[in-house]
Amino acid sequence: MPFFVVKRDLPGVTPEALKSAGIRAKSCCAEMTGEGQPVRWVRSFYLPETAQTHCYFEAASKSAVEEANQRARIPFTQIVEVMEMTPEMV
Amino acid sequence: MKYTIPIDSHHSGSITLFKIVLEYMNDVDLATSFAIFAAKQRGAAQVTPDHILLGCLRAISRFGIASLGAWSLDLEALGIDWVRQPDGPRPKVAYSQDAVHLLDLAAQIAKSAGDAGVDVKHVLAAFAAEESGLMGELKNTYGITSASWRAAVSKLGAHETETIAGAGLDRAANEKKSAREYLTPEEASEALGIHVQTMRAYIRGGRVPAFRLAGERAIRILRRDLEKVLEPLEGEKKED
Repeated sequence: MPFFVVKRDLPGVTPEALKSAGIRAKSCCAEMTGEGQPVRWVRSFYLPETAQTHCYFEAASKSAVEEANQRARIPFTQIVEVMEMTPEMV
Repeated sequence: MKYTIPIDSHHSGSITLFKIVLEYMNDVDLATSFAIFAAKQRGAAQVTPDHILLGCLRAISRFGIASLGAWSLDLEALGIDWVRQPDGPRPKVAYSQDAVHLLDLAAQIAKSAGDAGVDVKHVLAAFAAEESGLMGELKNTYGITSASWRAAVSKLGAHETETIAGAGLDRAANEKKSAREYLTPEEASEALGIHVQTMRAYIRGGRVPAFRLAGERAIRILRRDLEKVLEPLEGEKKED
């Protein structure tokens, strides 16, 4: 399944708010997967200098990732498909 | 919370009696899953704090009763179908802004308590000051105060023990396993003393509810659901 990065601008966000968002993301992904629309939150990176997060999801489509984030009520600025690359792959 | 089930198992040609005390771990993922279920069950478009409270109570309940401090909260009285999973079309629901604030508060409580993760205890504690909605109703009905609620919540998840009699099982290993709420099919079959293929048949047939890890093939079974395949012996002398 393709991977997607969800970019967010979250000025002033606290670590606690990020945890809360994570709880919501997990539950919404699980729910959508149970509904037959698989979405998996893989991991997230927080960039303190820019107050941005890059959250990686695995899903069949961009729209599924978008819906998961909307259901979880986590704001985002952009969702784009990414190509995975690891040191082992080069 | 502690619960004991006697399991008569025919295993390797011999009858073995296991007494397993199941241990519960409060799980915020379970609570949020039940919260979403509660919202869907009520045809709501959003998951509200009321649904989250119901989800938390469902997550800490046994047989539809959530024991919290001196209170035994009947989930049926709160309108929760604690047995069935939702049937038919599953409407889409999103978290409400109030639910977001509540979970944010739970995360802040976890931080102030010095806990690394957010658990169902922290979410329940976040309701302590709530005077409206379902929490307000519970406070009025049961005479709950913020302090008594927090005191009861703080006692959740107290250490439980496990006892296993017979079979010569390694106690330490089983204590470690029993600390987990979710089991693999192999672990679940071992707990009941049946073949793993039998357990998989139970799962396929719906006798044992099972969950798939989000986006993965791995299956997990809720330990407390194992008793659903147990039926009391009638007209037969029980071994002790």
